[in-house]
Amino acid sequence: MKNMADLEEIRRAYDEWRKMKEGWTERRESFRSDAGIPVKDLYTPLDVEGIDYLADIGFPGQPPYARGVYPTMYRGRLWTIRMFSGHGTPEETNQRWRMLYEEGETGFSAAVDSLTFAGVDPDQEVHGAAHEVGKEGVPLYSIRGVEAMVEDLPIDRMSVALVVEPLTSAAITSMYFNVAKQRGLRKEQLAGTTQNDILTMTIGYIPWGSLKPADLLKLACDLIEYCTAMGEAPRWNPINFTTYNYREGGIDAVQEIGMGLANAVAHIDELLRRGWKIDDFVHRLAFHLSAHRDFFEEIAKYRAARKLWYRLMKERYRPENPEAYRFRFHVQTAGCSLTAQQPMVNIVRTAYQALEAVLGGCQSLHTNSYDEAICLPSEEAVRLAVRTQEVLQEETGVANVIDPLAGSYYVESLTRELEERIWGYFQQIEEMGGVVEALNTGWLFGEMSKAFNKRRRDQESGEEKVIGVNCYVLEDEEPTPPFRTNPRAAEIERERLAKLRAERDNQKVSRLLDQLRRVCEARENVLPVVSELTAAGATLGEITGVYREMWGIWQLPFVA
Amino acid sequence: MEKRIRVLLFKPGLDGHWRGIMTVSKALSEAGMETIFFGFKTVEGVVEAAIQEDVDVIGFSVHSGAHLEWARELVRELEEKGVRDDFLLLVGGVFPEEDHEELRRIGMDGVFGPGTVTGDIVAFIRERLGKVEVG
Repeated sequence: MKNMADLEEIRRAYDEWRKMKEGWTERRESFRSDAGIPVKDLYTPLDVEGIDYLADIGFPGQPPYARGVYPTMYRGRLWTIRMFSGHGTPEETNQRWRMLYEEGETGFSAAVDSLTFAGVDPDQEVHGAAHEVGKEGVPLYSIRGVEAMVEDLPIDRMSVALVVEPLTSAAITSMYFNVAKQRGLRKEQLAGTTQNDILTMTIGYIPWGSLKPADLLKLACDLIEYCTAMGEAPRWNPINFTTYNYREGGIDAVQEIGMGLANAVAHIDELLRRGWKIDDFVHRLAFHLSAHRDFFEEIAKYRAARKLWYRLMKERYRPENPEAYRFRFHVQTAGCSLTAQQPMVNIVRTAYQALEAVLGGCQSLHTNSYDEAICLPSEEAVRLAVRTQEVLQEETGVANVIDPLAGSYYVESLTRELEERIWGYFQQIEEMGGVVEALNTGWLFGEMSKAFNKRRRDQESGEEKVIGVNCYVLEDEEPTPPFRTNPRAAEIERERLAKLRAERDNQKVSRLLDQLRRVCEARENVLPVVSELTAAGATLGEITGVYREMWGIWQLPFVA
Repeated sequence: MEKRIRVLLFKPGLDGHWRGIMTVSKALSEAGMETIFFGFKTVEGVVEAAIQEDVDVIGFSVHSGAHLEWARELVRELEEKGVRDDFLLLVGGVFPEEDHEELRRIGMDGVFGPGTVTGDIVAFIRERLGKVEVG
């Protein structure tokens, strides 16, 4: 970003500085970023040589969006504080959500239990499922559960993220829409997001009885088609590509965004194949990224991701709607960076990671609670996690200027390096036929397994320092008292379902389930009939049972 | 020549957090043990497989918070089949330290919480089984 004469002068001065530095030892022989990018001792204007400010960095709200997707960013509107929460029963989750609402949370995100995630009812005899009711999140097995979860909350004035995946996204989203309808609201008024990510279900977290990748892709696209292309819920984000969930496995920033872009492309191409135009849907695709340990690399990652999305749109799809070029994302601080040892240190880790997300220009943020490496968060821990964001918003002043790190020789150089590496990784997946093929062949499992094992080796050898685990260990540490979920949750949920089954029109449900079978066979969009089903009181297990029956369960190509 | 230690690992229930168990599986293999990763199975199926495969160790991982229930179910199944004492039982995952004692009382021989170094699991198995590895 300097003219050539200046650069020559700087180069000479730099060489002199290097000579002067000889003989000064460093802590380590070499330094690398989390993604393995060599980190130099010093960054100077020489490292941003060739970067053209207007073309490569630009202004906020303008291509290539390195500095943010909106012209005013946080000076216009602060990011949404969106905590991921849910536990026990829908009623208990409702209490927690009301507490968070009082504490200043502005968006909600429903963590569901493993049964909801896998599309299983608590009264189904599947793998002793009842043990896990309400343990990892809120149980949402029917419209009754969703009703109880949002009772007395102003869903027309809040945005809710439903953290479910393609297997259950149609059912849970339609339950939510139907609850709104019961309250006299229209789907068009609702703001929110359904997670709906096929990679989460296949490599990030592998639920029982998952469907084949192509079937999951179909279901994910059904929801995008219904909400956006068909205009049923135009303010709803029908998917957010949740690279966070794969990142938690141990992959790096390059793989995270590379897999995320490849995943988005698979969905876009499927919708184009169905006959939609790019402008019919692409503006509502959103992302959910991780904020990990390497401070500057993560900030550069967000900047690079925005630029790459812009590039992908401009070079490949060319939408007319300017909104389509904006890469919008939610961030969650890295759960896997938290430790059960000295859990209070997690507050500090999370605060730094939250700062990354904010300096990186996220649209909404979840900060993890300090006790999450032990149990689901207690009320006290989650309040502190909300306060962490409020300190950033109200006390630090970091939200008063847009993209304050732009122009940093290091950040700009790293942004460029990440852009190149991410694009290369994304193309590698494209060349092997895209994410569905990379799943079918087991290649993506191989990537995850390698990442798991590399992290393990690095942490066990001490190469990757983890405070409280492999350094600064406290002997005889006092255990943190855990938050326990409702031990009666399974019983309560079974009773709820029994009551529902007794009260609903069973003939109607059975007729609609037959209709769903026909829709699945013809591979038509499942949303219209699933919406009728959930309104009629069909359960999650009944609906996903039809998918499994019609399409079969996927045998995962495990790579140990 | 000593027989290699055989370990059957599984994830009970529906909870799909697979990183922990896969990582342990790899580490035990690297330490020269024969590991069978049995995926997401019912306790009943696992016990049958453990008998058929003549394994020395059964290990499972829980992240969902249902560790106590799963431990009880595994021990109950082993007792019903009359093979409770034929296996070394291990449990790992994300659960509170105050539950370690209860897990041992239920019958888990080895309890490994967050932050466990895999070398400790290897050492524990070797010590308890008194076997020497041959590669």
